[in-house]
Amino acid sequence: MSQHPESRTPQTLIGAGALAASGLLAAGALVISSEAGYSGVGPNFLPWVVAAALLVCGGWILWEARSGGFRNMEEPSGAARGDWRGFAWVSVALLANAALITTIGFILSCTLCFVLAVQGFRSAAGVSNRGTTTWALDVFTGAAISAPVYWMFTQLLAINLPGLTGSGWL
Amino acid sequence: MDIWNQLLQGFVTAATPINLMWAFLGCVIGTAVGVLPGIGPAVAVAMLLPITVKVEPTASMIFFAGIYYGAMYGGSTTSILLNTPGESGSMVTAMEGNKMAKSGRAGAALATAAIGSFVAGTIATVLVTFCAPLIAEYAVRLGPPEYFLLMLLAFTTVSAVLGKSTLRGLTALFIGLAIGLIGIDQISGQARYTAGVPELTDGIEVVLIAVGLFAVGEALYTVLYEGRTVESENRMSKVHMTRQEWRRSWPAWLRATFIGFPFGTIPAGGSEIPTFLSYATEKKLSKHPEEFGTTGAIEGVAGPEAANNAAITATLIPLLTLGIPTSNTTAILLGAFQNYGIQPGPQLFQTSSALVWALIASLYIGNVMLLVLNLPLVGLWVKLLKIPKPQLYAGILIFATVGVYGMRQSAFDLVLLYAIGLLGVVMRRFDFPTAPVVVGMILGPLAEAQMRNALSIGEGKWTVFVERPMSVALLGVVLAVLLLPRLGKLWAARRMAAVQG
Repeated sequence: MSQHPESRTPQTLIGAGALAASGLLAAGALVISSEAGYSGVGPNFLPWVVAAALLVCGGWILWEARSGGFRNMEEPSGAARGDWRGFAWVSVALLANAALITTIGFILSCTLCFVLAVQGFRSAAGVSNRGTTTWALDVFTGAAISAPVYWMFTQLLAINLPGLTGSGWL
Repeated sequence: MDIWNQLLQGFVTAATPINLMWAFLGCVIGTAVGVLPGIGPAVAVAMLLPITVKVEPTASMIFFAGIYYGAMYGGSTTSILLNTPGESGSMVTAMEGNKMAKSGRAGAALATAAIGSFVAGTIATVLVTFCAPLIAEYAVRLGPPEYFLLMLLAFTTVSAVLGKSTLRGLTALFIGLAIGLIGIDQISGQARYTAGVPELTDGIEVVLIAVGLFAVGEALYTVLYEGRTVESENRMSKVHMTRQEWRRSWPAWLRATFIGFPFGTIPAGGSEIPTFLSYATEKKLSKHPEEFGTTGAIEGVAGPEAANNAAITATLIPLLTLGIPTSNTTAILLGAFQNYGIQPGPQLFQTSSALVWALIASLYIGNVMLLVLNLPLVGLWVKLLKIPKPQLYAGILIFATVGVYGMRQSAFDLVLLYAIGLLGVVMRRFDFPTAPVVVGMILGPLAEAQMRNALSIGEGKWTVFVERPMSVALLGVVLAVLLLPRLGKLWAARRMAAVQG
């Protein structure tokens, strides 16, 4: 199979990533005791096996990446180039949610996440936002999804989710 | 007869109003999840795992099972009306079903898919009813060496056989095993790879991995690469089959049921293989081969859909009797059992017999509910396809948050969720299968425990794995699964060369 020249770098990075994972596992395995008991293999046995296997897999991936690309690749669906602007919106949405959920509560945080993410998907589709009505509608939709979910979890299932107030309603 | 009594007892439990309500809710959510692109049964069950804290086991297992097979019914609707399969098992349905819909026969395709799913699901449930107790009785005699090899077989098939590249499948499997290593070692009680972080001693939640890979990964992939992909929707027509269409459908349903069922029972994971096999069979046997790939042949929808449902139902056998999951969703169902401190396996039929039989009875009830939900009410589900993509995916992110946060109440998990989502994007873009990750992380710790127990029995000698006939046979199967496809390919290549030379 012929390789797109631009996929050579990411493929190499994936191989390097697998090797790095192997290295981390091996480093961690050093401090796990090998006390084996009757079985002859201790708690550090599988960690070493997995580290070794990832070393082999990573090396092999690296070799494939450097010698014509991954074998038997299914052509990935969608565009050849990523829409990084939309991706940034959705990333910010998710990370903001993680940062804010304990301070401003589940409903507000998820509504914000929803609004930002919708923005990202619109931008990726090449649609620009048409003014304040759309924004308002997005805020409303986000709240209309997150609020009932919140109430269902806190009121019906009594599962703790962070709220802005302690009332369990907001 | 014993099975009859237990099944009746199961119906009594499953038919209480509260359990019927859970089954119905599961079927509704399952169908919706199947219809909606971008979210599948595995991630839906994962997101709802937090309910295991409050809901009693029987009700929640009935609920999760409803989601699991409800998604199979709903998936066909999407693959027939849009050209994107709602979930991977309905890939083949998308080929013929979409052709039928394009030539104005969407209604007939939807009808044969729903009725076929019902027929296959019900027959498969009958088979589960009678086979599962027998297998469980036999499985009690298996010892740690055999269990370890069975799990090895599951690892092999899920990583090396399915998917295009053994290398990428194995890499995914070992990543999953590595994730499974984090936390307390089951046998020695030692902490591994926790780096002193107290949250990590409990291990990484399967919810986090499944929701990260499937929901967040899918959303990020869509925004990154598929923002401009436009799906065309086919026109609906009346849900109705002519007498001739009935006559062409039912043999396909029956054949496919018996193709699909065995594939579900062996640890060979997924429903892709049986659906393709059924499609190939129908194409070969059809009296109307000219319709395949042109105007759309009804057998090409009836068969694969039935095979899919039979296989899905049959995956409950290895899950319940051996505790071995063979697909993403069953891996997460195993996680649900574990949340209750229940370990599926041969003893399950004795220790939790009420739960098991209520679950099996609920499959019969659920299939009827789904037939009703999907035939007369299909128009309602079709409306779900009108949800615009931005709102749909952004909404999925809210549910992802509640699933992950609800499990452990840790905002740090939400950051991890994003990181795993990124991993999901890379895996999808570079064609790494995801099922081995989930199966590896769930089954890895169990397999390790069985392996070390087996070695303890053998006093540290590895020969313990070849000393009993059953384990030798299993080892042979593992090797065959690994080697036969390769030898076959080699042989075919050599024959090609001979023909050309």
